[in-house]
Amino acid sequence: MTTKILSTKLLERIGDTPLIELNSYSNKVKILAKLEWYNPFGSVKDRPAYWMIKDAEKKGILKKGKSIIIEPTSGNTGIALAGIARLMGYDIELVIPEKVSTETKAILTNLDAKLHETSDDLCPKVGVGTDQSISLATAISKARPETYYMPNQYENEINFLSHYEGTGSEIWEQTNGEVTHFMAGAGTGGTITGVGTFLKEKNSNVKIIPVQPQKNHLIQGLRNYEESAMPPLFKKRESIIDDFYTITNEESFKTSKELFEKEKLLVGPSSGCVMAAAKKVAENINEGTIVVIFADDGRKFRSLYVNQNVFTDDEFEKALNEASMIEELPFNINR
Amino acid sequence: MTEIISPTKTIDVKGLFCPEPVFRTKIEVERMGVGEILKVMADDPEAEEDISRWVNRIGHEMVSFTKENNELIFMIKKVK
Repeated sequence: MTTKILSTKLLERIGDTPLIELNSYSNKVKILAKLEWYNPFGSVKDRPAYWMIKDAEKKGILKKGKSIIIEPTSGNTGIALAGIARLMGYDIELVIPEKVSTETKAILTNLDAKLHETSDDLCPKVGVGTDQSISLATAISKARPETYYMPNQYENEINFLSHYEGTGSEIWEQTNGEVTHFMAGAGTGGTITGVGTFLKEKNSNVKIIPVQPQKNHLIQGLRNYEESAMPPLFKKRESIIDDFYTITNEESFKTSKELFEKEKLLVGPSSGCVMAAAKKVAENINEGTIVVIFADDGRKFRSLYVNQNVFTDDEFEKALNEASMIEELPFNINR
Repeated sequence: MTEIISPTKTIDVKGLFCPEPVFRTKIEVERMGVGEILKVMADDPEAEEDISRWVNRIGHEMVSFTKENNELIFMIKKVK
């Protein structure tokens, strides 16, 4: 596999992602999607990753040639941190749950990240999935504080701020203040609380609605707050939440497929999850403008989509060729 | 007479906090051959429960466990 040469110019492309209307879903109620895969490393996570590294540099915590960045992540934060850390001159180690897709693992390795894989049976008392990774990354950095810096996206206020100052204000401007509902997947809570707080300050009537997957889910990047701990970042501003939706794996995958059939958008599973909930919200209101976050596109999820019978391998290949609004990525995606 | 157990490999995870000791143990055990013995030296009190439970859950054999002062020593035989 060849490693693509990265340019620091990529860092200038973080944020200012397009907001498009999903015409086949819009009537009196408009549904607009913010396409976060337009960020240079392909997901919404470029925003907090870049902001958290810059913040640690500014505070003198990170030292070039000496510090190692370590972070627990289920994928996109890892890709963003690995790509950005490399451009900014830092080594990176990532703690990931072993169920992370093979494509994601290959991308992370391709971006020179060192991987530590955790499994749910390692230490059950700390929880499942990313809770295992959080616990291990914390332990590794705690024992070697001079070397390791853990941005900790689950608690770092800068994650919130990247969405408050970035994503939130972009949405307000792009909708000319017409947004009535904001929906995003529940993960660290950074996106929903950052954007939500900004929008509520502009117009307290905007409804803020996170979407979580079912328990024992297959939606990389999201958390079910009944089975995984509610992150401090979410808990801190829970009061801005107006409603909460829980979506099954089946609904998420079905909607991902539907988004391709109706809109020619090849989205990641978390976008299908959020969109499935947005359709339910739209059915219950007469008018309004719903903005949803599409955190990443579907290119990394070929094996998941094929294994779950969402697309056959041929259908996926066809979708890759026909998909609209796809940007070139600075890394290879191999199976 | 006490049987002398000689480990195939020894790892020192003193100064590391849980769950890193059990994580390092798992990685080493996975690299070893069936029948080989890993000696793990730890000092995080939580390692006692974490490593013992992991060994039982996965089905390996805890050949011996000793605790002297703050030092924990595990002898783990890879069974499968």
